[in-house]
Parts: sequence; C-alpha cells; structure tokens
Amino acid sequence: MIGKYLRLTAGSQQAIRDRNASAWLLPEDDRRFDHGLLERMRRYRDEDEVDIAIVGCGAGGAVLAQRLAHAGWSVVCLEAGPFWDPDTHWVSDEGGSHHLYWTEPRVISGSDPVPLGSNNSGRGVGGSTVHFAGYAPRFHPSDFRTRSLDGVGADWPLDYRELRPYFERIEEELPVAGQFWPWGDPHPYPHAPHPVGGNGEVFLRGAAALGIPARVGPVAITNGRFGNRPHCVYRGFCLQGCKVNAKASTLITHVPDALAHGAEIRTEAMVTAVETDPEGRRATGVRYLRNGREHRQRARMVAVAGYAIETPRLLLNSANRRFPQGLCNDHDLVGRYVMVQGAPQTSGRFAEEVRAYKAPPPEVTTEEFYETDPARPYRRGFAVQNVAPLPITWAEHIAAQGHWGHDLRRYLQDYVHWATLGALCELLPQADNRVTLAAERDRYGLPVAEFSYSQCDNDRAVIKAARTVMEDILCAAGATEVLTIGRYAHLVGGCRMGADPQSGVVDADLRSFAIPNLLVTDGSVLPTQGSANPALTIMALVDRAAQRLISRTGRSWSVA
Amino acid sequence: MARTVPSGDSGHRFPDFDALDQARAWDPVTSAVVFDRLALQPDLRFFGPAEEAVASALFDLLLAQEGPPEQPRVPVLQMVDSRLAEGQTDGWHYQDMPEDGEAWRRSLHALDQDARERHGTCFAELTADRQRALVQRVQDLSGERWHDLPADRVWSLWTRYACTAFYAHPWAWNEIGFPGPAYPRGYLRLGVGVRERWEHPDRAPEAP
Repeated sequence: MIGKYLRLTAGSQQAIRDRNASAWLLPEDDRRFDHGLLERMRRYRDEDEVDIAIVGCGAGGAVLAQRLAHAGWSVVCLEAGPFWDPDTHWVSDEGGSHHLYWTEPRVISGSDPVPLGSNNSGRGVGGSTVHFAGYAPRFHPSDFRTRSLDGVGADWPLDYRELRPYFERIEEELPVAGQFWPWGDPHPYPHAPHPVGGNGEVFLRGAAALGIPARVGPVAITNGRFGNRPHCVYRGFCLQGCKVNAKASTLITHVPDALAHGAEIRTEAMVTAVETDPEGRRATGVRYLRNGREHRQRARMVAVAGYAIETPRLLLNSANRRFPQGLCNDHDLVGRYVMVQGAPQTSGRFAEEVRAYKAPPPEVTTEEFYETDPARPYRRGFAVQNVAPLPITWAEHIAAQGHWGHDLRRYLQDYVHWATLGALCELLPQADNRVTLAAERDRYGLPVAEFSYSQCDNDRAVIKAARTVMEDILCAAGATEVLTIGRYAHLVGGCRMGADPQSGVVDADLRSFAIPNLLVTDGSVLPTQGSANPALTIMALVDRAAQRLISRTGRSWSVA
Repeated sequence: MARTVPSGDSGHRFPDFDALDQARAWDPVTSAVVFDRLALQPDLRFFGPAEEAVASALFDLLLAQEGPPEQPRVPVLQMVDSRLAEGQTDGWHYQDMPEDGEAWRRSLHALDQDARERHGTCFAELTADRQRALVQRVQDLSGERWHDLPADRVWSLWTRYACTAFYAHPWAWNEIGFPGPAYPRGYLRLGVGVRERWEHPDRAPEAP
C-alpha cells in the first residue's frame, strides 16, 4: 500500500514523461501552444473512410481521440468551435470570456428551468474543461448502486472497482493535486495540495469549529512545473481559461499527444447528423457544416461526444427511416434523465478581508454529507466546496437576493469581506427531465434543443439541507451575515448507460445497443450524478471504453 | 491620471486605489479588452430612441449611477446595446419568454406604458422616485405576470445585463478594491487579511 502511494510521487521520470507526453509537447518558450503541431497535423479527406469520427473535442472526445490515435487508428475529431490559443484567445478578465461558452439558441422549460450556455457548456478544443475549475473528485463506490442501496436513481452497468484503475490513470494524466482523500474509496493524489486562499481558509476554520472533516483539493492544477507546463500563479481566473497552462484542460493534457500520433482535429465543423446505411444497421459517417458548406466524413465507427444537451439533440436530429424517433431511440430513452446538480451558494460576511478572488476558486471540500444518512429525511446527499465568485458573478449573487440600486452598490463595495461556499447536491434522475427538439431552428436550419427540468421533493430537501450546512460553516467561522441563493451546476445524462436496451442507450463500454459501431463518449451516459464534479468520471469512463475498444480489435494500450 | 470611480455613492472605501495603475503588469491581450471599455463606445445600434430613453433611466436606477451629470458614468447603456446588437447572449431563453433582444424591447415598452398609464407621461420624464416605484413594482410582482411576461424573469434579465456590464468596468473595480487582471504576475500573498502591495486596505470597513 505504502509502496503504491510513494510510486505516485517517486516514479520513474521516463514513465511520467511517456504517460504525460502532452505536457512535453507544449512549447518550452513563452508561448502556450505549439502551432507547429497544427501545421503538421494529419488531414484526411471527406471520402477517406477513417477508423473513427468523433463528434466534439471536450473531456470525452479528446481522451478518446488520444487513446485511439496512440493505438494506430485513423481518427478525425470534429469540433464545432475553434482551436484555442491560450495566449491570444483568452483573457484574464471575467467579462471578456463569454466566447468560451456554447451560446447557440436553446429553450428551457419545466417547473425549475435550468439556464444554459454559461458554466455548464463549452465550445472549442478542450470543451468545458477549458473553463472548468479543474475540480476532479472521484465518484464514490455507492454512486454506482443507488437503486440497490438507497432505492432511488439507477444502478450503473459497471461498478466502482471496474473504473478505479482508470480514475487513477486520469488523475496522473491531469495531474490532480490534493490531500489524501478520506471519503468514498480513500486514496492519495499524485501532487501535493495547493496553498489555500482566504476563502478556503474561512471554510477550513468553520468546518474545524463544527468538527466537520474538510480537505484541500482535489484540483487538476499541477503543483510545480510539470513538463513544459509552468506552475500555477494563483491569479484566480481558472474559470476564464488558464492562460498559464497550469490548470488541466484536454487542450493541453491529451490533444497535443493525439496530434503527435496522427489524429486530425477538424475545428469549426458543426456536425448535423450521424449517417447510417439504408437499413440503419451501421453508422457510416457524419454530415457536417464547415465554411457554410455541407460535407460528409466517412467513418467505420462514430463516437458522439457533444455533452448532455447536444448529444441527444444530434441523435434526435439524425432520425431516419429505421429510427423515426431519433437514432438509437427505440425505447424512448434518448434525451431522458438529464441531470443537473443543485448548487446553492452561500456568501458570508467577515470583519477581516477575505479577498476571495485570489487562488483557484474551489480549493476546499467536504464530502461528509455525500451518502444517504438514515437520520435525514432524504436519500443521497451533497458535497460542499468553496467557490469564490469574481465581481460580476458576485453581483449576480447579490442581485438574486433582491438587492438593486444603492443596496447593490453597497454590498459590492464590501466585496473583499465575503467568503462563498457552494454545494453540489445530487438531484435524482427523472425521465421527464429531458431534451427534446423545439419548433425553433438555429442558423443552420436545425431544430434547437428544448431542455425541460423540474425538481422532485427529495431534490428540494437535499438542497435545503446543504444550505443549512453551508450557513452553519460560515457562521462558525465568524460570519456576521449570510446570504444564500439557489443555482445549478454541471449537466449529465440524456443518453444513459444501462445493462440492456430497455434501460440504457449505451452499454458499459459506451456502445449503443441499437447500432454496434456507434458510441456515446461523454457525460450524457451517466445514469446518476453523485455530488462530485463530473469531468474526472467522464474521462475515466471514456478511457475504459477506449481500452475495451482497442483490446477487441487486438491493439494494445494497457493500464499501468 | 487621477483615478475614476462611477457616478453615485462611490469611492470612500478604497480612496487611492486604481486598478489601472497596475495595467503595465497585465498581458497585452487582456489589456486590450479592458482598455476597450474605456474607449469611446460605438453608437447605439440596437435600442431605438424611445427604448434608449427608458433603458438609460432604468440602468441608472438599477446601478444607482445617480450622481450629477458631470460625474463619470460607466456606459452601461452602450455596453448592453453592443451585446444585443451583436447577439452576444447566453443563447437560451425561457419557454415563456422571447429571446433576450425581444425581451428587452418588450419590457422597456411595458415600463413606458406603465408610466403613461399611471402618470400620463413617458418613463424618462418621471422623477427618480416615481421611476423607482415603477421598477420596484416589477420586482414585487415576482411569480406573477407583467404585461404578459413573467415578472421575475424580466427582473432577472434586467439585473443580469446591468451587473455584467457595470462590474466588467475598471471604474467599478476601483470602488470595490478589485485589482482586475492578474496575468502573468499572479498572487503570492494569499489568505485572510493578507495583501499584495498593490491591493489597498479597506479604509471604511462597514457591513452593508
């Protein structure tokens, strides 16, 4: 056991370099991306039948592209957004980062509609990992069996142990920094925890006063220089895209290595349909728009990785004679069971200056309330993290409390005195929380997604409990006033995996039941969402699916 | 150059603090984006004259930029107009609301209509107190409909756009003690009660 932990920090340099090749493919000079990689990128023609066409280059798509390119597959990854250059495309500024989000038109409805387009979306190479906080907790073993254990949600078609080696490998590839993790399946992290800013310090103080265990991490930010990735400078703009290259995004952790192994990442390419043979038995490629013209990329296999809204939308928009209700939708599951985490946010006022804008916005966590507690009136639970909003986000927090005019200005002038905590509440999967096609069309002439969302009683009870815990922690730390607002975070589900075609769109290997050479490789496959940020789990599932795919075809890329 | 703070009750907590003093430590791409906000804003392209009159008064109220006319004003009206003209929205809209641009037009007309019905003149002609009362009424209608729009969603639309514009502006950072961009220098001094030398202490720390 001890040997295994030491290996995390004292392994051979060459092994680390081989595993994290992307970090050494970044430039050694003052540029943040090697444009030579793009100039030398292999480029396929539409009529070439490539081994796989991947739709979307975010957490799932980029990992799949890198794995398969490594194994010698011919890979084209089609991405609707641009190929980012952190130096020239990103700014250390909150208001100037709107272009990092997916802002195509969408309709939201239901009794508790979920705003989209901002932090729960992404575009361009790296997808939402470009602007995610880098928070990378694992799901707990219990997350895979909530139906059996708690009578709610759904059991996954695989269990935690089957995913553990992939969690470990992705944690090393990002790499993740944090304290030894005591919750779920206890485990260490490859990098030591980062120093804590004022907001995290307040959280630790309040939690200690109440006897609630809290830990620093786990965040996918290298602690110290890593390959050609510089160390973090604690500037606090993680959510605006890391100009430093310290925070992981697949743009710097997997894409460089994918390109070096012959993958093509075709940007500004909006996929409009997955095509099949006339009988609908096999996927034959994708139809996409680029420079205003329609193209078709032929492929022996297709993987859709457009996330919880765009993946179901694409499958629904790909309806054909064999699948009149949408591709892979024989059992009316495509677009259903979309989930968001309830993310109430509590700010507390302190006499001291907290200056929450410095250091990574989430740094400290407690998962003490993660699982079902029989003494509480709800099933499943929540995690608490600090969130550290920048001025615009904090103004929205204050405005959401009803303050405006002089009141609003007065609260904002007090900005440096406030610390903020955010919860991630496990809201339950419900069939009617779903993506459908609206009558409205986008600029390509395609029906846009409508996302309907309504909470159930258990959801409301969990959110209420999280709010009480956050207010208690801040008061115990010395807050003189607390303000809580309701909001949501993350998006998963919509193409859930299941044990059979009646319970899932895809199987545990992320292959669709209906079309064997069509995969879904993103967060939409999650049957439940836990109270953890989903990126690490999405990447681990895709890593596992890639491994299984490669071993079925006799090419190897083994788990260390 | 003397520091600038926005119109209204401003500037007593960080009296000498000017985020722009550190602009030489910012990367050029970020600098360009921030300094753009200080440049002359484009002429209005989205709001028509009647909408401009209501929106201008509404933004002054929502953000309390109510100082005398000679005081500098964060050009919120122009910043919002640019966003709407360029379609720089978040993309989504509620099923029971039109898209953002149309929602802005309709809600501004509705506010003007309230002014005419209650006071016989347009919104912009009213005293600040009367304007404030009409705006407050929309907030108080939360959960109900107002001119066939859900009042709470109109309220959220107004405050969201207003806050996003105002707190993107370096003059607003000056009054709240926020240093703005921090790349490539970053921060070394983290933690409660700890400051870099370019971060100024709060000189009038009173809870709101």
